[in-house]
Amino acid sequence: MSLSVTTRDAITAEVAKYPYKKTALLPSLKLAQKEKGWLSTETLAEVADLIGLPHSHAIELATFYAMLFTEKVAPVRVEYCLQLPCALVGAEDALAKTAKLLDVQLHGERGTRHGHTKDHLIELHGTVECYGACHRAPMCRVGDDYKENLKTDDDLQRLVADLKTRAAAAKSQAH
Amino acid sequence: MPLDYQPILLPNPGRTTAVALTEYEQRGGYDGLRNALRKKPEDVTTMVKDAGLKGRGGAGFPTGMKWSFVPKGPGPKYLVVNADESEPGTFKDRDLMEIEPHTLIEGIAIGSYAIGCELAFVYIRGEYTVAGDRLRDAVDEAKKAGLLGAPSKLTRADGTPFSLDIVVFLGAGAYICGEETALIESLEGNRAMPRSRPPFPAVAGLYMKPTVVNNVETLANVPYILAKGVDAYKAIGNPPNNTGPKIYCLSGHVKRPGNYELPLGKVTLRQFIEEYGGGTPSGRPVKGVLPAGVSAPIIPAANLDAVLDYDGIKGAGSMLGSASFIVMDDSVDMLWAATRMVEFFRHESCGKCTPCREGTMWLEKTLYRMMEGKGKESDLETLQFVSKQIAGNTLCALGDFATSPVTSSIKHYRDDYLAHLVRIEKKSDKKGDKAAE
Repeated sequence: MSLSVTTRDAITAEVAKYPYKKTALLPSLKLAQKEKGWLSTETLAEVADLIGLPHSHAIELATFYAMLFTEKVAPVRVEYCLQLPCALVGAEDALAKTAKLLDVQLHGERGTRHGHTKDHLIELHGTVECYGACHRAPMCRVGDDYKENLKTDDDLQRLVADLKTRAAAAKSQAH
Repeated sequence: MPLDYQPILLPNPGRTTAVALTEYEQRGGYDGLRNALRKKPEDVTTMVKDAGLKGRGGAGFPTGMKWSFVPKGPGPKYLVVNADESEPGTFKDRDLMEIEPHTLIEGIAIGSYAIGCELAFVYIRGEYTVAGDRLRDAVDEAKKAGLLGAPSKLTRADGTPFSLDIVVFLGAGAYICGEETALIESLEGNRAMPRSRPPFPAVAGLYMKPTVVNNVETLANVPYILAKGVDAYKAIGNPPNNTGPKIYCLSGHVKRPGNYELPLGKVTLRQFIEEYGGGTPSGRPVKGVLPAGVSAPIIPAANLDAVLDYDGIKGAGSMLGSASFIVMDDSVDMLWAATRMVEFFRHESCGKCTPCREGTMWLEKTLYRMMEGKGKESDLETLQFVSKQIAGNTLCALGDFATSPVTSSIKHYRDDYLAHLVRIEKKSDKKGDKAAE
């Protein structure tokens, strides 16, 4: 299914912003991903065609940048920072407790872990990337939103309630 | 006692909302730009040079000198702001953009005038969406007020209109974009991989045109220099090598983590941790401090009296870098800490240079093996050997950075590594005992 007129127009506007059209590729892929949730081969090709670039250029970027997804992801994506400043003040514990509250089995080793709820609506990740919120650690990103100061069980309960609300909204939107 | 110092970069500690244009102008905002436009561009560069401002992103290169490398003459020139703040422990540029966007915009405008740029880019890490939105709003405000635009309502010293547009560009998750040539590649729509130099960006940077890449905090220093003068700026800090204010990020084992703006060279690391950070929450002694995120050697507790400036931290065997201090108390196992840091570099290596791509993987594998209790004492030599093969053999500094957590932790905390081996030997003994029974 092709991109909406709104997204296609937004991509055209991006191209007009820069002296060279290839600069528009990265923001355009993000616009397409915002609409589709991820970047399929068809979406990558459509974005490249819209800008007037070879498809391979879009694939090159999509397979390099961590925020671009070439596989389907859950509608609610949670990324816990497990890098040193967060890990020193309880990020590992916060991730484990969040996983338990969501009944998520985490896989992977050490700094990189992942799992999802049984209904596949929430994905939980532990990452080694730092998100620049070390003074409000532990923290996680939920989509584009920062959830900071996740220090107590109450903080985590509130986080999980928010995640479930987001998952329910995504489910009703899908229907 | 904390210093009697009035911050100029983040004058409202604790504030979470953005300073709007009217508020910024009420406190003298854009006076620096207006002063700059009354001077010749080269005189602006000379002022920044004379003020002794060094790049605040990590490398500490003199800003005015960087500007002076841009060739004079016709043709496009670009100013690119490095706002890809991704170094673990670093969150100063985030606050600057979220709270004080106009200080950055004014700095960009002054820098652009000095080098002859009419289109500037701010490359913000993709995760900083709030900073991106606030900066875009502030750019729109400045345009509406006639401070920016092609042309703006301001006039240059030569009588022609001042013309500048600023594009706010968000990345998509790649630490390597903090390296200026990788950032340029990313801005051009390519994978963020460092370029071979020469040519340097000042000669052939963005779109192969003369380009200056400056950090957010660096440019945020510039308005004060132009508004108050070189002498006023040099009065802050510890001249000649350490002038001006610096935002120090504090995280890890401290009671009060956060951004602290202080003059360079006026506080020791111990004072900073104890008086500003409140000491360790556990009350346990400090075991070590990382002064530049995870990219510079660990400073051991014996060197906590180092002064917080470029020379002081260098004297303590490390580097000031982005001034992102991660404090670790004596409960921390430095083998574990080094492993976590190396995981980061293995994950973030762009893969272009073999020593970094393969070397970080081998460092991680070896550290994992040790963490799992399967290490040998010779693994310490392996770690040092691999580090030596990486350092200095890559196009950018990521390779060097990846080795410093390993080599410095082995140097200062060798016992932490050996403790894991000793534990295995004890386990082996126990097994042996059981077998004998």
